[in-house]
Amino acid sequence: MTYLFQILNGVGLGMLYFLLAVGLSIIFGLLQFVNFAHGAFYLLGAYLAYEGVERGLSFWVAMPVAAVIVAALAGMTERLLLRRVYKLPHTFHILVTVGLALVVQELVIIVWGPLGGNVAAPDELSGVMILGDFIYPEYRLFVIGFTVILAAALWWLLDRTRLGAIVRAGSESPQNMALLGYDTLSINTAVFALGAGLAGLAGALAAPIRGVEPFMGVEALGIAFVVVVIGGMGSYAGALAAGILVGVAQSLMATLWPEGARLVIYLGMAGIIMAMPRGLLGRA
Amino acid sequence: MQDRRAFLKGSLVVGAGAVSGVALPGLLRSARAADGPLVIGAPLPISGAFAANGKFASLGAAFAAREAAAALGRKIVVTDIDTEGKPAPAARKLQEAMAQGTRLFAGGILSSEALVMGKEATKSEGVFITTAGADEITGSDCNRGTFRWSVPTFGAIAQTVRPLIEQMPQAKRWYTITPQYVFGEGLLSAAKMVFQEKGIEHVGNSYHSLAEKEFSGYLTNAIAAKPDVLLLLNFGSQSSDALRQAVSFGLKKRMTIVLAWASGLEQFEALGADLCEGVYFGAQYWHGIDSPLNKELVSKLRESAKMTPNYSFAGSYQITKLLLDAVAKAGSAEGPAVIKALEGLGYLGLTGHEEIRAADHQVIKDYYLLKGKAKSAMKDKDDFANVVNAGKSFLSPEAAGCKMQQG
Repeated sequence: MTYLFQILNGVGLGMLYFLLAVGLSIIFGLLQFVNFAHGAFYLLGAYLAYEGVERGLSFWVAMPVAAVIVAALAGMTERLLLRRVYKLPHTFHILVTVGLALVVQELVIIVWGPLGGNVAAPDELSGVMILGDFIYPEYRLFVIGFTVILAAALWWLLDRTRLGAIVRAGSESPQNMALLGYDTLSINTAVFALGAGLAGLAGALAAPIRGVEPFMGVEALGIAFVVVVIGGMGSYAGALAAGILVGVAQSLMATLWPEGARLVIYLGMAGIIMAMPRGLLGRA
Repeated sequence: MQDRRAFLKGSLVVGAGAVSGVALPGLLRSARAADGPLVIGAPLPISGAFAANGKFASLGAAFAAREAAAALGRKIVVTDIDTEGKPAPAARKLQEAMAQGTRLFAGGILSSEALVMGKEATKSEGVFITTAGADEITGSDCNRGTFRWSVPTFGAIAQTVRPLIEQMPQAKRWYTITPQYVFGEGLLSAAKMVFQEKGIEHVGNSYHSLAEKEFSGYLTNAIAAKPDVLLLLNFGSQSSDALRQAVSFGLKKRMTIVLAWASGLEQFEALGADLCEGVYFGAQYWHGIDSPLNKELVSKLRESAKMTPNYSFAGSYQITKLLLDAVAKAGSAEGPAVIKALEGLGYLGLTGHEEIRAADHQVIKDYYLLKGKAKSAMKDKDDFANVVNAGKSFLSPEAAGCKMQQG
């Protein structure tokens, strides 16, 4: 029965990992841009939600506001800085975004201090669900449900709308899209803002679970990359499958091999890279 | 969360101001002549993940130096040495400081850096006094130059688990969550000894890595074991994460939660009163301790810097003060003389009567069991907990594994 509980817990964890990774997958998939500042947007989203709640806003307001602000800031950053390095090799993407991540982290420390803080789950979700011996926080259930809806909405947006078609076409053939009169630069800005906004949303949602502290972006970035690599760079469905796989593996290992629960994530990634270099569902 | 404005104000008031007793970065290369200022090195993590602790510790050292300057009638300079929280830079920078003539050091928040710095200090007849927690510091790795103020794992467990077993005789089933490395193993083996002695059923243990942030799997294990008490043996941000997640799983209503090695006021501020209410915390120091020196420190700091001393500040203040008091007693700042003055020294410290055991250079002091208060019961913004127990428990130097040649 413990294993069943761990699997259920792992699915919940996996949905959070998917939410964390999907923005990164979208940015890489559509822009072919390696964004090492992804964790910084997650960090910023968490702290903006924290600040909103500290100032008396309801969590239900602070959370989306945080995501929108992160998206806006990311859009500005893309316009002013990142689009200058798109055409350069990936190493330049990494250099610039790592630098950006460090700047964001230090700014967070300057503004909010180095010690971190706590964000309470909304009162409506502060209880637990009990099913026999299985106990699960209501807030984590909400995160699972919310992520499922968000995943469906993203799929619909990117796969079933004209806007999504434009975005995908812009990533595959920017010159042709420019010839057709589309502003590909603005499309890129919108995609980057969307990906970063999703990271910010993940941070805001994670804050009641993990609290906020200035180095949380680093850990998040590591998990996001693992999920994206396992799922396949640029694969949206892959990120979902990989997120759940990683979450379940980590949760099961807490019973089978607790001290190796974290290690198994990275071992799994290494195994997948060797066996399937494009990941589970990566694009060619 | 730490009030940022208070933190910055505290930095300005405490760290600057007085002519003597000023914390400076390692750029200072002042004269080391006998009639020059007395230089105390403060090897602390000023950058990196533990920078917050380092910054408070730096302020504590400067505060102690400012107080002692008047008593010694000599200018005292505390030189910050940024260890970055890593043993290699810590050792290198300590060596550089020693090459420039500094012999007295108070710092080393992390055990990994403290162990290497103690050895380096000893090589050159220096003195290194630390608040780091690993048993080895005054155990198997004890050495002539190293002194340690904080209570090691044996005492931490003895003064948290034992009193709780006595307070809750009906709580027979305990579950532990342990970071898998030397420090966690130390706490766990000490806990197991107490469990065995007291007839407690240790219903399970979950190890986790030092990088772990997700504790839901371990908590699910704990829930399945149906314990009366959940004993968290991790520390720092991991203990905060584990506690936060345990509370979110509703475990506070189902069992007693104990955090054996808390970080002190900093941790309470980060977690908040609601989360800490009803949880037991083991602590090296609490600003509510009823001792003359502690009351004086709290009062002075609140008046001058509008802040309450947390563990990082207080620990650094105490060890710097010890070093300076030993210099005054010895009439010399030379390492061997200061060591002699420290060994066997009894004094009134922050926790009341404290004594430095000559055989292993371990300070014999109280360890505290705190219980988180309800927010409505807090008298001020820092009144997060009551002290429910205090006491001294230490292994003998031999049992701790210390084989130190006496001077």
